[in-house]
Amino acid sequence: MLVGNETDLPYDRPPLSKEILLGEEQPRGLMQRSHDAFAAQRIDLRLGTHIARLNATAAHVETQTGDLIPYDSLVIATGARARTLPLPIASDPRVLTLRSLADARALRGHLRLGLRLAVMGAGLIGLEVAAAAARQGCLVTVLELADRVMARCVPSRISARIESWHRAADVQLRLSCPVRDVRAERDCLRIATDTDDIEVDLLLVAIGAVPNTELAQETGVAVQDGILADECGRTSAPSIFAAGEVARILQPSGHYKRFETWQVAQYQPISVAHAICGVDKPYLDLPWHWTDQYKHNVQIIGDCGLGLEWLEREDAEGRLAALGVDPDGRLQAAILIDNGREVTPLRRLIMANRPIPRERLLDAALSFKQLHVA
Amino acid sequence: MAWHDVASVDEFEVDAPKVVQVGEVPIAVFQLDNGFFAISDVCTHEYARLSEGFCEDGKVECPLHQACFDIRTGKALDEPAEVDVATYPTRVDRGIVQVDL
Repeated sequence: MLVGNETDLPYDRPPLSKEILLGEEQPRGLMQRSHDAFAAQRIDLRLGTHIARLNATAAHVETQTGDLIPYDSLVIATGARARTLPLPIASDPRVLTLRSLADARALRGHLRLGLRLAVMGAGLIGLEVAAAAARQGCLVTVLELADRVMARCVPSRISARIESWHRAADVQLRLSCPVRDVRAERDCLRIATDTDDIEVDLLLVAIGAVPNTELAQETGVAVQDGILADECGRTSAPSIFAAGEVARILQPSGHYKRFETWQVAQYQPISVAHAICGVDKPYLDLPWHWTDQYKHNVQIIGDCGLGLEWLEREDAEGRLAALGVDPDGRLQAAILIDNGREVTPLRRLIMANRPIPRERLLDAALSFKQLHVA
Repeated sequence: MAWHDVASVDEFEVDAPKVVQVGEVPIAVFQLDNGFFAISDVCTHEYARLSEGFCEDGKVECPLHQACFDIRTGKALDEPAEVDVATYPTRVDRGIVQVDL
């Protein structure tokens, strides 16, 4: 049985911040399956159903309408919700967040030529929305606390390249720009920054996500910014598993890490399903995510948060790559712009976990495939 | 159906497809160990040109999101794609690789 509180059939999220905002009703990347497809797999799909309580001792969950659903194994795959603005204005209908298909459709309904849109947060979702809204003719301002975009996951030269795409599309990037207050006026929202006030028609708050751990927490399952899970998705409670971005997964390093990526939503639950069937299939994939903005594709491979030294190279066609090396000269992470062909060779190069001479890494005439073979 | 020229046999390199546009349809033609194989050049997941992807062992990966396809059969091998790509017959006529569409 698959129980979810959304009324839409299950879907993939990547198109929500792109194709849906550009007006496509059923982009192929949404991967929405029919009711029949679930029935054919003998999956009892319960949409629009809120789980109010989890009773681990009795091994059942209780819906908001009082139905008890018993289980042998329970997978908590409740995902994350958008972090909201800690201001009373957060409930104003002109202040939106983006997480679900319903959110994306609501946002799209607002986008029009000349709309003044502020996006708070220059992370992946904020920037993808800015790109889509600019294409729809909106006047977009991005407000970011850090001094560059995507500061959490890419080095500064990659940030600069991404910033150049947005500036070329007339998106106003306000970096190092904390928002002090947002006030509702009759015909606009007034956003106070340190230097001035900005008047907009709509504000998208894209300042990260918070895992939906409440059900687990209430029943005593170990939670710490995500439900703590081993490499196979087992939680601290017997017969309860955590899947996707609500899970904080044990890493080979011994640390736990939570991922908000399509990759983890797609592949980690396969390990969970194996564990339920009594088969250990640890989830150990090298982290990978991407972003599509305007006509560009950015690939991010490996763990960029390791305190790496970043080397950059640009090939004859102007394709920029950033390579994150550790103090032993081992490649640990890489970022590629418009060069998806090199993702798999780079992934192998990282997995090989051996030192690579710096001059070879920097030699843009060597493809990563050649580097891996050498 | 008609045969369309792609390129001469000796212009092909291993793991580097040639692209030919037939009307509205872009087709990627690959040389593998046992001959030439033609598939639609557009990923069935989201719009991307498979000819710009990584290619190895008879498989090609979408450059955007790493969906993987069997070049011989067009079969979608890995998420996020679930729909196979179209395949087209090929032949070699007097040293010229041709595709039938």
